[in-house]
Amino acid sequence: MSDGFGRRDFLKVLGAGGTGAAVAGCSTQQVERLIPYVTPPEEITPGVATWYATTCGECSGGCGVRVRTREGRAVMIEGNPDHPVSKGGVCSRGVSALQGLYDPDRISAPMRAANGGFEPVSWEDALDLLAERLGTGGRSLFLTGPKGPTEGLLLNRLADALGGRRVVHDPLDDSALRRATQIAFGVDALPRYEIGEADFLVSFGADFLDTWLSPVRFGADFASMHGVSEGHKGRFVFVGSRLSLTGQNADEWIPARTGSEAQVALAVAGELVRRGEDAGPYTALVSNTDLESAAEAAGVEVAALSALADRFAEGNGLALGPGLAGHHAGATAANLAVLILNAVAGAVGRTMHVDATPDGEASSYGDLVQAVADMDAGAYGVAVVSGTNPAYSLPPAAGFADAFAKVPFKVAFATAPDETTALADLVLPDAHPLESWGDAAPSPGTYSVRQPVMRPIPLFDSRAMSDVLLDAASRIGHDFGAATFHDYLRTANRNWLAEQGEEAGIVGDPDALWRELLRSGSVSHADTSLKVDALRPPETAVGFDAPSFQGEGDLTLLVYPSPRFGDGRHANRPWLQELPDPVSKIMWHSWAELHPNTADRLDLRSGDVVRVASGEGEVELPLWVYPGVREDVVAVAMGGGHTVYGEFARTFATDAGVNPMTLLPASADAESTSLALVSTRVSVTPTGEWRRLASTEGSHDQDDRNVARATALSALGHGPGGAASADGTDGTNEQAAEHADEHADAEQHGGGHGGQRRELQEGGGFVPVPTEGRAEDFPLPGSDFGEYGDDHPRWAMAIDLDRCTGCGACVTACQAENNVPWVGETEALNGREMHWLRLERYYETVDASHAGPLDVRILPMLCQHCNNAPCEPVCPVFAAYHTPDGLNAQAYNRCVGTRYCANNCPYKVRVFNWYGYTELNIPEPMNWQFNPDVTVRDNGVMEKCTFCVQRIRDAGGRAAVEGREVRDGEVYPACQSVCGADAIAFGNVRDQSSQVAAAAHDERSYRVLDELINTQPAVHYLKKVTFHDVDEGGH
Amino acid sequence: MPTARTKRRWLTAGLGVLPALGLGVALLVAWQAPDDQPASEAGETAGAEEGATSQPIQFPHDTHAGQFQIDCQYCHFSAERSVDAGIPPVATCMGCHQVVPGRTDPEEVAKIRGYHDSGTPIPWRRIYKVSDHVNFPHFRHVAADISCQTCHGQVQEMGVLETVAPEAGNLKMGWCVSCHLERGASRDCTVCHY
Repeated sequence: MSDGFGRRDFLKVLGAGGTGAAVAGCSTQQVERLIPYVTPPEEITPGVATWYATTCGECSGGCGVRVRTREGRAVMIEGNPDHPVSKGGVCSRGVSALQGLYDPDRISAPMRAANGGFEPVSWEDALDLLAERLGTGGRSLFLTGPKGPTEGLLLNRLADALGGRRVVHDPLDDSALRRATQIAFGVDALPRYEIGEADFLVSFGADFLDTWLSPVRFGADFASMHGVSEGHKGRFVFVGSRLSLTGQNADEWIPARTGSEAQVALAVAGELVRRGEDAGPYTALVSNTDLESAAEAAGVEVAALSALADRFAEGNGLALGPGLAGHHAGATAANLAVLILNAVAGAVGRTMHVDATPDGEASSYGDLVQAVADMDAGAYGVAVVSGTNPAYSLPPAAGFADAFAKVPFKVAFATAPDETTALADLVLPDAHPLESWGDAAPSPGTYSVRQPVMRPIPLFDSRAMSDVLLDAASRIGHDFGAATFHDYLRTANRNWLAEQGEEAGIVGDPDALWRELLRSGSVSHADTSLKVDALRPPETAVGFDAPSFQGEGDLTLLVYPSPRFGDGRHANRPWLQELPDPVSKIMWHSWAELHPNTADRLDLRSGDVVRVASGEGEVELPLWVYPGVREDVVAVAMGGGHTVYGEFARTFATDAGVNPMTLLPASADAESTSLALVSTRVSVTPTGEWRRLASTEGSHDQDDRNVARATALSALGHGPGGAASADGTDGTNEQAAEHADEHADAEQHGGGHGGQRRELQEGGGFVPVPTEGRAEDFPLPGSDFGEYGDDHPRWAMAIDLDRCTGCGACVTACQAENNVPWVGETEALNGREMHWLRLERYYETVDASHAGPLDVRILPMLCQHCNNAPCEPVCPVFAAYHTPDGLNAQAYNRCVGTRYCANNCPYKVRVFNWYGYTELNIPEPMNWQFNPDVTVRDNGVMEKCTFCVQRIRDAGGRAAVEGREVRDGEVYPACQSVCGADAIAFGNVRDQSSQVAAAAHDERSYRVLDELINTQPAVHYLKKVTFHDVDEGGH
Repeated sequence: MPTARTKRRWLTAGLGVLPALGLGVALLVAWQAPDDQPASEAGETAGAEEGATSQPIQFPHDTHAGQFQIDCQYCHFSAERSVDAGIPPVATCMGCHQVVPGRTDPEEVAKIRGYHDSGTPIPWRRIYKVSDHVNFPHFRHVAADISCQTCHGQVQEMGVLETVAPEAGNLKMGWCVSCHLERGASRDCTVCHY
């Protein structure tokens, strides 16, 4: 580059993204300060990440996570591969804990209700007030979400000491299953399922990959059970009226009517008993059933149910459910029927375990109803609410708000304001789970600890609830033997070691054990609990008749927990709002699902705004026509329609969505007292309005492109090996590289820009090849210039479509790792969402009219890092180019935003930053989450998946310093780091012993569109494996 | 609507300042939250005003690195293992100055004690900075036996650092590349830019 005013200077002045410059001596210059520590924390080295193992606090699943911190700030959450529950996985909601931590809407100081609003008070005053009221304010009600065992114990002790009562409420807890287990096995506990050990799996509507119990753990287990291995794979049948994310992963769908779960399960059990199995005390009950009437009740074919019985008879089957999809008036009966089926099928003690010890923190809607009645009657003087938001998550008909208002003094502990804190007299800013101590006991034999990964954010004057309560209790003379919850936790840990350590096989110095626990995040010990594996006769008569639904209308309303927001507690997180729903691919707003035939009957189409009305209320929301629901239902997800809950949903969306709980009567299953989520019929009427759905679903049909491929299980072992075409190191490429060198030499002699070009090519730049455009000239020699000598690795990825469940955790992890901004609903409607990775979802076979094979394909699509990348030659400024180690790179500081590359990309994986979304959309302190290793891109710059090049360069640099090669598995991109299903492998494909090379050589391996346009991608997909025959098509 | 601006607030250089652009890359622009500022220990940046144009403490590199031959990495402790070289915590200064009162400028040494006793970090003025879209890993250069002086100049002969040393080529990319070229190091864009 010549001196003076060169190309780069010119581009800088034009304001091409990210290349501004300040001028020395200019009066507007501000001085940047380097602020060192006064006394450095031992564990922090500037510029080097410090990792903490902790336990996710976003739901009660108890997953282990590793949190990456830089200079004392949490910047990334990954799965902890050493954790026995989550096995290296974490879901989108877990990753988004970072946005809960850095939520600008967090409560910044204790607040007291005054003059119709709130005024800040000091912690000292707040604590005095709290202590005084707890001491003398009358009976106390502690209404909380499920807490860890130690914190729960503390709360129970506190409630007892104060003569109060503790009620646990979690709208996602499966209390009907708990009650059914108590009836069938005599234990007040949830059964534990070992999905990974089963050969055949049936879910009666339980969304175990979405939200049910422990979805990350189930996701990992499901992948190992259902993913093909050595020619075998487990079969999964989904029985239910709506295909959730879980349902979409099934091999067969029996679209049984909601409410018929009990009849179907009992009839199948009865059929097994007739074939010689034993139902113990329930033999008479199940023998009385027949498949015909069950099929009639479910609205499906008898043959489908008898096939189900056949599969169970083959052995090692496991039935799950019906989960929250079966939380209707007959919920306990439905759960009991499925438990009986498991007992008959021999799953109990094999893949389903019932521990004889009750597990902690059982949520009960019945207790809550009682508490509401007591509050209404004035029985409580103080109510303490934490970790649950009943003013939002209960049907208004439950009367919570009115009864709550009658309590003289209401305290809410929360990180951010919500509908319940708005009703409180004193609001105390709680510490985020990433800032506080806690624990979890996700299964017998596993103890998992939660530790603060950073100091509380100074902008929010928060304190952990348990610390505050200990402090307040001590002020009124209640001593729990600890000044802080950390001390309490340590004491509890020491006591456990002293009392049970030996029996559990954990002995040693408590302090050393504690340090090891903090290092690894969890400890596995001997499971000393007794197991129950025999059914016992029912103490009460349980009716198995189909539940009746209230109200007028011909459609049954299905209210289901959102896989993104759960019961709505995660709705204020822009990552989750902009994460396309795994089923509908809709972002930001709510929608109602109707079957195409029903929509036709009502003369409706997708996007029509409809009024869904029940006897309790009505909501208006757009319709999304979905073949994965039965014709007699309309489905609406929980999570939308917050009235008080941060700004994100409202700021970036046209509306906050709707809360379907407002449509529900407050009816419950009598036996378990669980809230009936499926309880009412509704009418659906058009409003005459239409809106575009903010969806990333370009098409649900892959037409004949065959980008998301499948192969029949029976065809495996016969297909051609993928090795020759897939390894990327064959002779053709070597020759091509030689050709490229020749061309490069020729260019050099051409003068002009030749010298620069030569220099560029030596560094790995693109080599243009002269051509007259004849078809037979293609592929052009040198066009796959990414193949260099053997001295560089060749980074590649393999994605197993047979293991991927489509949960979307990878999308959120990518966003967190790579500083990818969100754009908001309006911009998303313009197709400007910035995700570097998306999950395409195609229907092959989805038929709600009868039972049969189901085939939904999910294709994670990211930059394919093509060897022969169409984006590279069209870039006028060499911003898109190929690196020597095979990455398709994007040099942001070169990019001038012509967007030619995106236009030329056949995979649509390049995204353009139109308006500087980072600056526009990401407020303080949410930008504290930014990964300091990745450039924050500005507007006018094209960006895309980099294969997490920052991790590659970091690992490469450390390996070089240590004088070794990068080891296989040492570099893993963010998407892989959260995938519990192990669907993603990454590494050097030249290293024939690497995981990714093995995957690339698999007979199922293919590369998207490669045969058609010879892009030679570095991303290898492994075909999904189906039980039914598929037309493999291909080009 | 969130209005808070994010940390990387680039100033757009106007055409009028073109001739000076060549100097500009290395120095900073408005920067609200430096990466090195720990989240929880930011504390008060008292003294930020007083040293707007000069260093808050007239730290003589020539005395420390030259006369007393203290190794660079004694204070810049993470250069060998991190992307960042590291700015010494006040505690490091106090390690010696607890007992060494300072012969030439005892009043400057007294300032350190002031910062230490009040628990305030010293708000050093940043001299060396590559652009935000550049990743310069110190540890790789240390491992490659590149002396600190190669980029930072003869620091052991300098008094108070106020400007980038002439050896640093204004920290422009061409200067980086010339060295990479000379030493056969990679010149792939993604070695530094990602």
